[in-house]
Amino acid sequence: MNKLESIEFFEKFSHGMTLFSQLSDFSVGTTPAEVVYTEDTMKLIHYIPTVKKPFAVPILVVYALVNRYYILDLQPDKSVMKKLLDEGFDVYVLDWGYPTGIGKYLTIDDHVNGYINNAVDKIREISAVDKITILGVCQGGTFSVMYAALHPEKVKNLITLVAPINFDTNKGLLHVWAKNLDVDRIVDYFGVVPGDVLNIGFMLADPFRTMIDKYVDLFERIEIKPGDEESQRKNEEMIRNFLRMEKWIFDSPDQPGETLRQFVKDCYQNNLLIKNAMVLNGQKINLKNITMPLLNVMAEFDHLVPNEASKPLNDAVSSSDKETLVFKTGHIGIFVGSKSQKEVCPKIAEWLRPRSIPDEAKKDKTVSDEAKKVKTIPDEVTKDKPTPAKPREQRRTTTQGRAQ
Amino acid sequence: MDKIDSKNTQDFFFSLWSNFYEDSFGKLVTMPTLGPKREESEKLMKGFSTFVNFYTALMKSNANFQSVFMKAMGNMSDKTISEMDKDPSPDKYRAFYKIWIETYSGTFNEFLKSELFSSENGKLMSAFMDFQKHSKDIFEENYLKPMNLPTKTDIDEINKELYILRKTVKELTKQIKELSEKNNSTAVTPLE
Repeated sequence: MNKLESIEFFEKFSHGMTLFSQLSDFSVGTTPAEVVYTEDTMKLIHYIPTVKKPFAVPILVVYALVNRYYILDLQPDKSVMKKLLDEGFDVYVLDWGYPTGIGKYLTIDDHVNGYINNAVDKIREISAVDKITILGVCQGGTFSVMYAALHPEKVKNLITLVAPINFDTNKGLLHVWAKNLDVDRIVDYFGVVPGDVLNIGFMLADPFRTMIDKYVDLFERIEIKPGDEESQRKNEEMIRNFLRMEKWIFDSPDQPGETLRQFVKDCYQNNLLIKNAMVLNGQKINLKNITMPLLNVMAEFDHLVPNEASKPLNDAVSSSDKETLVFKTGHIGIFVGSKSQKEVCPKIAEWLRPRSIPDEAKKDKTVSDEAKKVKTIPDEVTKDKPTPAKPREQRRTTTQGRAQ
Repeated sequence: MDKIDSKNTQDFFFSLWSNFYEDSFGKLVTMPTLGPKREESEKLMKGFSTFVNFYTALMKSNANFQSVFMKAMGNMSDKTISEMDKDPSPDKYRAFYKIWIETYSGTFNEFLKSELFSSENGKLMSAFMDFQKHSKDIFEENYLKPMNLPTKTDIDEINKELYILRKTVKELTKQIKELSEKNNSTAVTPLE
C-alpha cells in the first residue's frame, strides 16, 4: 500500500470509529404497530394502516423461527411491511418471540395448528372476514403451506416467499449439511437449541465474506469529505443500516427442540412434505388440499433456499390460479435490497389486489379471467378505491414505533 | 471404532491411532469396575471414551481445514504470481486483498459444500453432543445432586408437565368456547 492509500485507509477507519461512537439510535421495526393477541411467547402484531380504507382481506405474514421477523421492517425506507401498507393492505405479522424452557417440547403441530391457527382466527374475528391472505417467508412459508393444506377454508390467498418445500436437492448448503446431521443427539442434549449454533452454520456458508470482508467493505465505503454535511449524513445512514443488519444477523432465537427435530428429519432428511407424507398430530398433510390462489416468489441467487426447493410447490397443489415470480437477487436481498421496494413488493401487491375482495362481496360480480392474471389490474379495483370493509371494532392506534 | 480400510493418508492415520488406543489404553477404560462406587466409575470411564471420540473427530476436522488452507494458499500463490511483478509493488495492496478474499472464499466454499465436510461435520457434532451429554450427566450425578441443587433433568421434567398442562388447558378452553357458542345458538326461548 502506498503512503496515500495508507493514510486514506486509516482516515476512513478513524472516521468510521468516530461515527460508531456518536451513533445513538439504529432502531429496527419502527413502522407503527400494536399487539392485538398474545399466546405464550407468540405475539400477533397489527400494523397501523396508512390508507383510509385498506383492502378487506388482511394479510398475515408468517416468518421463520430461525431469525427475527423484523428483517421485513428493518429500515424505514426499505420496509416490506410499510410498502404493503402503502399499497393499501391491512397487515399483521406473527412475532414468535424467544422460546423458554417449555419450548423444548413445542412441535410443528403446536406452531401450525396452534399459534398460526389461533392468530388466523383472531384476525378473522377482528377483520370480520372468513378468509385471509397468508404470506409465508422462508421456513414460515413452509409452515404456511402446511397450514393452508390443513385449513384451506380459512385461507383466501397463499403467497410463499423463498420458502423451501422440496428438500431433495444439493444446490443449497443447508440441504447438503442436514443430510448428515444427527438432530436427535443435538435436541436430546440442548432441548432448546441455542441460536448461536445456527448462527455458526449460517456464517459457515461463506466464512471469509461474513467474518472479514463485510467489515472491511464497511470502512471502505466511508466517504471522507470534511465539511460536507450531505456526505456526513450518508456515512451515518450507511453505518446505521449496517448495524441494523448486524443486529438482525446475530439476533437468532433459540430453536424449540421437537420442532427442529421434526423439521430436519421429516423435511430435510426424508422430504416428506412434497410427497404428501408428512404428519402433524396424526393428520397427514396433503398439498392437493391447497386450492386457493398461490403466488410463489423466489430469488434467483438464493444460496440458502435454492429455486429447486421452492419451484415444485406449484405442481404439488390443486390451485388453478397460481404463478411463480423469480427475482434476480439473493435470499436476504429479496426483503431488504433495492429490488424489494422497486420490484418485489409492487409485483406482490399487483397480484394480490384483485384477490383481496372477500368472497361475499364477489357473489354478484363475475370476476373475469383477465382479473385472475398476474400482471393486470381490473378496472373496478384500483389502488385508491379498495372495496369497503365490514364495520370493525374500534382499535387503539399509536403514532410511536413498537418498543424494542 | 473403524478398522484400517481407507487408502487416504489422513483416514489411515486416524484409524491407526484409534485402533492403537482401543488395543491399549482403551481396554483400561472399558474394564469392569469394582467397589461401592463402581457405577459412578463406570460412567466416568464411559465419559472418557466419549471425550476420546470427540477429540479424534475434532482433530480430523482440524486436519481437513488445514488441508483446505494449504490448498487456498497454493491457489493464492498461483494467482498472485500472475498478477504481481517479481518485485511486488505496494500500490497493488488492494488488488492483493481482493485476490486473497476471492481465492480463500472460493476454496473454502468448495470444501464446505462437499460431501466430505458434511459427513465429517455430522460426525463431529454427534461426538461433541455425546461428550457434552455425558459431561452433563456426570456433573449432575456427582456435584449437583449431592449438593441438593436442581438439575437440568429436574427442570426439564417440570417444563414437560407445564407444557402438557398448558396444552390441555388450551384444548379445554377451546371446547368450552365451542360448546357455549353451540349452546347459545340452540337456546330455546322460555314460554311466558
